Amino acid sequence: MKKIFNALFYVFKFFLLIAAFGLTLYILIRMNIRLEQNIASILPRFIPYFILLVLFMINIIFKQTSVTKNVFYNLTCCLVFVTIVFVSYRAIFDTNMVMNFKYGYGIDFNFFDNFMAYINIMLYGLAIADVLFMFRKSENKSEVKSKN
Amino acid sequence: MKKILLEYVNMFAYTVIGLVFGLSFFLLFINFYHMQELSYVADISSYNDINSNNIKEKVETIKKNISVYDQASYNGNLNIYGLNTVKLNLESCIEIIESEDMSKYLGLDSIGIKDSYSFVTDFKNKILNDCLVIQIKSMFNTDTVSVLPNFNIIKPYVELNIDNLLKSVNYVQNNLENSDHYYFTTDNNRNNFFEIVSDSYTNTMNNYQSTLDLIVEISNWYRSIVVGG
Repeated sequence: MKKIFNALFYVFKFFLLIAAFGLTLYILIRMNIRLEQNIASILPRFIPYFILLVLFMINIIFKQTSVTKNVFYNLTCCLVFVTIVFVSYRAIFDTNMVMNFKYGYGIDFNFFDNFMAYINIMLYGLAIADVLFMFRKSENKSEVKSKN
Repeated sequence: MKKILLEYVNMFAYTVIGLVFGLSFFLLFINFYHMQELSYVADISSYNDINSNNIKEKVETIKKNISVYDQASYNGNLNIYGLNTVKLNLESCIEIIESEDMSKYLGLDSIGIKDSYSFVTDFKNKILNDCLVIQIKSMFNTDTVSVLPNFNIIKPYVELNIDNLLKSVNYVQNNLENSDHYYFTTDNNRNNFFEIVSDSYTNTMNNYQSTLDLIVEISNWYRSIVVGG
């Protein structure tokens, strides 16, 4: 049962990461177009996404089972990305947002921008936890080695 | 020693992931709650019926009061330019009050947060700005009106009321614009303190009625000077 849930969360985590990244990119590009700013200025906002993606790739390449088979970690990743997707959905489609109605840009930038700090906190949190769980892997390895 | 350190690292990792889990869980569910809260629809059918009748009565009173003056048949000794100015400005205000933009709200049976916000902004733009400031306030600053009887009595009264009305709905508008941000409302404080949709609408409607009362007072003054003069 645990394995099934873990597999589900593990697969979903990648799909949700793509969805969260795509929606954030779409909203920030629209925001930059409106402000007539250079697209390059939004790149720093995606640093936590890139860090997380690199860490996920490292997890896959080096087969770090302490991270990939950690149900709680995978569940938290899914929850974080679902939250980002849901907030992005509300920023775009929630017709009861007064500021969206007032300015008529089609996206409630004000609402989304307030959420950016939380996105960074959660994504950096996931990245830090991923790195720390890698040490657990080395511990397990060392235990196996010592038994041998 | 290394094992203890790794144990601490593991514990720290679970603490971090636990905190992230808590934060995202909180944000996800507060968003659901907030979305549900913003979609709240208030029933105002009976409230609107009463206010609609009040507004119609007041508009009829204003129309009746300004109809006592007709330039072609006027034989009095008051400045006709002043009387014409007051009549035209009050007629412009009535046009604004009876316009589709303002009367559409009186036909609503239920309102959402966007209706409340539209009502505040339309009230500010059309009634406060287009009627009170552009028509009434400027009217009391013209030389032709200043020579009419009791001008010195009615002018400070009107200006004081206009100043108060101009500031009256700012906090309602700000409060509605702030509703995009998370805040906690319980049924208890919704029932006892402030329900953002219907209370914002009620506040704006009260100010709308006060504005009409002021215009009725001006029309009463106008009627008294025309009949008296």
